[in-house]
Amino acid sequence: MSTERKLLVVKDLATTFHTPSGPLAAVGGVSFDLNQNETLGIVGESGSGKTVLSRTIMGLQPRNNVEVSGSVLLNGFEVVGASEKEKRSIWGLEVAMIFQDPMTSLNPVMRIGKQIDEILRVRLGMDRQAAKAKAIDLLDLVGISSPAERYNVFPGELSGGMRQRVVIATALAGSPKLLMADEPTTGLDVTIQAQILNLLEELKERMQMSVVLVTHDLGVVATRTSRIIVMYAGRIVEMGSTREVFARHRMPYTRALLEGSPKVSNPSHTRLLAIPGRPPNMLNLPKGCSFAPRCSFATDRCREERPELEAASEPGHTFACWNPLPVKERASA
Amino acid sequence: MSDSTQPLLKVRDLTVTFGSHRRKLSAVAGISFDIYEGETLGLVGESGCGKSTTGKALMRIVEPSSGTIELEGIELTTKKGKDLRNFRTRMQMIFQDPISSLNPRRRVKDIVAEPLDCWKTVEGAEREALVNDLLSKVGIDPVAYGDRYARQFSGGQCQRISIARSLAMRPKLLICDEMVSALDVSVQAQILNLLEDLKAEYGLTLLFIAHDLAVVKNVSDRVAVMYLGKICEIGPSDTLYESPEHPYTKFLLGAALEADPDSPIHGDVLSGEPPSPMNPPSGCRFRTRCPNATDKCANEEPQLVEIATGHQVACHYPLSTLARK
Amino acid sequence: MYVNEMVEEASVHNRPERKKRLGLLFWICVGWIALNLLAAALANVLPLQNPIFQNYASVNAGPSLHHLLGTDDLGRDIFSRIVFGSRVSIEVSLGAMVIGFGVGAPLGMLAAYRRGKFDSILSSVMYVFLAFPAIIATIAVLSFWTPRSLLKIIVVIGVASIPLVYRVIRSAAMTVATKDYVVAAKVQGATDRRILMKELLPNVAPIGISFLLVGIATVVTLEGALAFLGLSVNAPTPSWGNMINESLAILQTNPWLAIFPSLAMCLFLLCLNFIGDRLRAHFDVSEGKL
Repeated sequence: MSTERKLLVVKDLATTFHTPSGPLAAVGGVSFDLNQNETLGIVGESGSGKTVLSRTIMGLQPRNNVEVSGSVLLNGFEVVGASEKEKRSIWGLEVAMIFQDPMTSLNPVMRIGKQIDEILRVRLGMDRQAAKAKAIDLLDLVGISSPAERYNVFPGELSGGMRQRVVIATALAGSPKLLMADEPTTGLDVTIQAQILNLLEELKERMQMSVVLVTHDLGVVATRTSRIIVMYAGRIVEMGSTREVFARHRMPYTRALLEGSPKVSNPSHTRLLAIPGRPPNMLNLPKGCSFAPRCSFATDRCREERPELEAASEPGHTFACWNPLPVKERASA
Repeated sequence: MSDSTQPLLKVRDLTVTFGSHRRKLSAVAGISFDIYEGETLGLVGESGCGKSTTGKALMRIVEPSSGTIELEGIELTTKKGKDLRNFRTRMQMIFQDPISSLNPRRRVKDIVAEPLDCWKTVEGAEREALVNDLLSKVGIDPVAYGDRYARQFSGGQCQRISIARSLAMRPKLLICDEMVSALDVSVQAQILNLLEDLKAEYGLTLLFIAHDLAVVKNVSDRVAVMYLGKICEIGPSDTLYESPEHPYTKFLLGAALEADPDSPIHGDVLSGEPPSPMNPPSGCRFRTRCPNATDKCANEEPQLVEIATGHQVACHYPLSTLARK
Repeated sequence: MYVNEMVEEASVHNRPERKKRLGLLFWICVGWIALNLLAAALANVLPLQNPIFQNYASVNAGPSLHHLLGTDDLGRDIFSRIVFGSRVSIEVSLGAMVIGFGVGAPLGMLAAYRRGKFDSILSSVMYVFLAFPAIIATIAVLSFWTPRSLLKIIVVIGVASIPLVYRVIRSAAMTVATKDYVVAAKVQGATDRRILMKELLPNVAPIGISFLLVGIATVVTLEGALAFLGLSVNAPTPSWGNMINESLAILQTNPWLAIFPSLAMCLFLLCLNFIGDRLRAHFDVSEGKL
């Protein structure tokens, strides 16, 4: 695949916060890319750096006490080091973001239609009437019934699922090429979650965009993404096509995530694979592999030397582990 | 599961109504179920279905408006004051938010010993030994961590401490209200396994309330599904998950995301959102979103009917009968 | 905000709590307040000049070795009057706070814990009292309740502070009372009394203490204001407030008389407020983890 077709190229991206207790490498050297019209999942537990990573890609980071190095090339635009003004030119038009709590990204005292309107008028220079018509179209697009009437409601009058739809509508207002979704369905009920995920998938096809789905829930990425990245302690520990990673993961942490979460298809009282401990203290990361203290396969090498991503049998599948799990036979999968 | 005919907990027509007569909200609108000694009953449903309120009403944290709760044959809803306090040792609860369920300004040992101190059952060295034992059982080193404050612990550890505290008085029934939903996957697995181990060791009976279908199935022998304050289906977990009888259960299961790329994406996602419990639909509460609803569903409220052994469903048209037609 | 969460998440892992430092300035302030209290308590035994002895030989003198801070228009030693004057300010403020907290704090905690009718009736009553401007009410009562005495002043200010204390403590206790650990204590069979003492009190106390310090500072100014209006202790007993009041007439000829008592009061208030602020931050569980 030629590089021109890549929508997003991330290289050696590192985000370090300077805290009073010392530097905290929230993202510690991450490289990956994203094709046009692809859905990529970023999976990790709390503190894995997935949220910081997605915000760094957006160029959203606090002004103070943070250091970003590496490169984020978004459709030819270098995000790292760009000024606020330059970044503003891509926000909404090239890349947009939706967050976990829809209420925090909506202004509670402004009618929802107006909030979409404003983006259209300010960013796209539409006139009042065209903007209103487009806003109603967008509300309709995200599956809000009777959009013309709902145009005038306040966010507080809507349910959580409806609010997330409005947030998606505001994100789509500028027809971005990349949509970053940070835990878009966490906190929503299962039936509503399914509605929102279906909507995102449908919109992705319709608007020809790429989606990055950041989540802690493997169920969310399993069927909705073509590739996934598994993060642990600020680094990528495994990456590859979703099917491949689920079926033939090599990194013990990926296995712990997969076999540690209960499944509807398993019988009751299935013993879960529980790994001891919890994610490491990011202020005091172990010297070697960050997962080594919790890993049953860990050797001295794991504790001394950090493994880099290496290629697995399938192209595109990489993992960072000195003692990877054996390759499962294709037939048995 | 014991085959004793007398259930440990017997709940009949339990209702919980909030608010005054003008704006009444029936969070729990008349539910009946039994929990037998040694089993785990899972209670699932979406937010606002009344599952948490049910748990709180059983503990008398919120007051039931009507109905009866019998624990080991003793009626609890009429108990007051000292009598009410006395039954507290029989039933315990674990809360959703692990951090906020522990007083940040108290030492872990004192938190776990709180029930013992309330009841003055054991004192001195015996108390110390019991607390140490409880902490070790839940995987917290009493020597290294016993004197730390609750605020110094992570979510998973706080939940362990909560479990230790709830077991101090050796309760019969443990109510777990969304106890793992705030935890990371890898920590969640530890806590679920721990819960299974302790259940066996202490001979506990569990009411496991959660929204996550996979988690509920994993721990439960039987599962009850709630929708808008009512139980719509209750049955052995494997049967219920394999062949749901209530259309709502089927939709709920269909929407559950399986961590498996080969699992089918269900196109028929339940549309719309639950109606307000302030103003529930007449007849069957699910009829406004049910594809099979008829006039009968609007006029007549379906009651829980046994459709197979131990499998009850509140629907005029259970799915197995529809399929037969 | 997400950075804070991250950092907190990362740093919360089981490390022994880092000693939080209160800082040198805090201890200087504590020292100053302690010095004030000590001087007030021991004023009678300290080698001070008689604060009401009028020495007409040296009237309106500036600071000197004999009179450290000079003398006033009646030839009384200002330093000794400030020390004795602090007694009134401190007695009034401590006394009033004993009444205010003694009544307001338990009621506030009880209201927050009990809720329901008890809370709504009590709160309505308190809010009615809060609606009166406390200072006007105090002035009105003190103007009519004669002859004035220190005790009466304490009672009036103390009663006026009850609704304020009630409101602050109630809202602080309310956030604690809704926490799961309070519910958990209840379901374990803890008595109401035990919950109030073991769960609520330790978590409300830090807010209470910092409000207490602010309250003391406020009463010191209030006493000053009352004295200024001639509604505090009667002359010739000194208080910071009536010293400033007396100084006004002769501000032109002897500015020292205004400057030193004002300075004493200012420093006292500044230190109290600073201590209160630092203590609140220090005892806040969520803040200052880093």
